[in-house]
Amino acid sequence: MSALLVRGLGKTYADDTEALRGVDVHVGEGEIVAILGGSGCGKTTLLRLIAGLDEASAGTIAVTGENTVISAAFQEPRLLPWLTAGANIAFGGRRLGAAERRDRTQSLLRRIGLAGYGKRWPRELSGGQQQRVAIARALIGHPGVLLLDEPFSALDTFTRASLHDLLLDLWRELQPTVQMVTHDIEEAVVLADRIVVMRPHPGRVQETLRVGLPRPRDRLAPEFDLVKRTALRAVNRSPAPPPEPHRTGPGVSPWL
Amino acid sequence: MRRGAWLGLLIPLVLAVAWELAVRHGLASGRLMPPPSRLAQTARALSRSGELQTHVLATTQRVGLGFAIGAVAGTVLAMLNGASGLALRLLDPSVQALRAIPSIAWVPLFILWLGIFETSKLALIALGVFFPVYLGLLTAIQSVDRKLIEVGRVFGLSRTEIALRVTWPAVMPAWIAALRTGLGLGFMFVVAAELMGASEGLGYLLLDGQQMGRADTILVAMIVFAVLGKTADSLLVAASRPVLRWQDTHRLRL
Ligand SMILES: Nc1ncnc2c1ncn2[C@@H]1O[C@H](COP(=O)(O)OP(=O)(O)OP(=O)(O)O)[C@@H](O)[C@H]1O
Ligand SMILES: [Mg+2]
Repeated sequence: MSALLVRGLGKTYADDTEALRGVDVHVGEGEIVAILGGSGCGKTTLLRLIAGLDEASAGTIAVTGENTVISAAFQEPRLLPWLTAGANIAFGGRRLGAAERRDRTQSLLRRIGLAGYGKRWPRELSGGQQQRVAIARALIGHPGVLLLDEPFSALDTFTRASLHDLLLDLWRELQPTVQMVTHDIEEAVVLADRIVVMRPHPGRVQETLRVGLPRPRDRLAPEFDLVKRTALRAVNRSPAPPPEPHRTGPGVSPWL
Repeated sequence: MRRGAWLGLLIPLVLAVAWELAVRHGLASGRLMPPPSRLAQTARALSRSGELQTHVLATTQRVGLGFAIGAVAGTVLAMLNGASGLALRLLDPSVQALRAIPSIAWVPLFILWLGIFETSKLALIALGVFFPVYLGLLTAIQSVDRKLIEVGRVFGLSRTEIALRVTWPAVMPAWIAALRTGLGLGFMFVVAAELMGASEGLGYLLLDGQQMGRADTILVAMIVFAVLGKTADSLLVAASRPVLRWQDTHRLRL
């Protein structure tokens, strides 16, 4: 078990874009925290900093607990096209011994409903199947902290709902601490223990909501709707991004 | 063979038969453009005396060795420059400057430095192979999808592991393509090398045919070149097929 503690995180890109300023986030052991916010408010930047893919300009990131292994699934599946589905899952489990890696790959393939698909190339899988493989790859190595950057946003409503259930099943079983990012309010309310609402320019935390609904959650229950509306109000309090500068030019109708 | 492949043979076959008939019926002399039957005779004679085999062997050895040297050098340097920004800034401008020199322009210098025998020939072939392999591989390494590299980093791979397990498989198709280009150029430069003076090799056979006024010898040498080049390329493709299977399925599905 492990916890994630982000303190005063700031990120200014080389072109002077200030993407994050003074961000504090705490994800307790085995908790699921969803970052909610509009486009461009620095959600991806925050996850990239935690994953170690970029250097923070200010602040600290700490993973505490006995298991400090971090892994991630991205907005796109990002499967390696030269590896089969099974080998892609195994790729995430390099730290495991060969035998355990093989067993866990097989069991994860079963868990994500792709038992017979281990030998297929990524190109032979649908988008939802690829995303399931990506999640299995993120989970095979027993991560203490799992980062998810809008992993379901490219999928249709049905697939998305079934992947929510799958993710929650796997989470119950493996108990990773989950820091996820979404701009779908319902998704945040279905999955998260707490919702961190961010506002843009520069990206910072506006407020944190506790969902406090028992699992499994019924999307049709009145309490669910209540939390959803609270979250929506919080998001609306965060100002919309400034409108794009109005452009007219050749080929662009000024009426559009 | 695929269905359409036979169609491609139609025109050459019709032309060959037509030419054969034209010469038989005295419509053309066939001195400068001997008919297929003459070419077959010449080829038989050359191979019965063992001459043809000697030439084919000499040329194959030169291309093989020159290709190996050029391909290894191009691959190693591209890997080095692709892995290290310092090496790239230090070495790449010089390589690019040398690339701007037409490879044949090196011939006089190679002869002066290395003599007119095997070494200068190998150097020329290796040089011709080197540039396309270097450029093709380096470009591929530099344009590997950053998103895939990040997958390696997220799962805690070291720089070396990322190079071996992400970058290398990602550039494999481009590397094979560069090797094929290099092999083609290897055959081009072996002719140049053998034309500049050799006692054996298919290039020598070409030159010999010219000096003896034997168009049939020249054409036989040219046909053997075509067969050799195509065979070598097919071998390369066949050897690469297992590692490019993931891409193959992609191509079939398109
Ligand atoms: N590599 C970069 N260089 C410069 N600016 C960047 C870079 N990456 C992101 N930004 C800027 O940082 C800000 C936050 O971007 P980020 O990708 O974190 O947003 P996001 O919240 O993930 O948005 P979305 O919901 O659209 O994915 C944006 O203004 C973006 O233009
Ligand atoms: Mg994003």
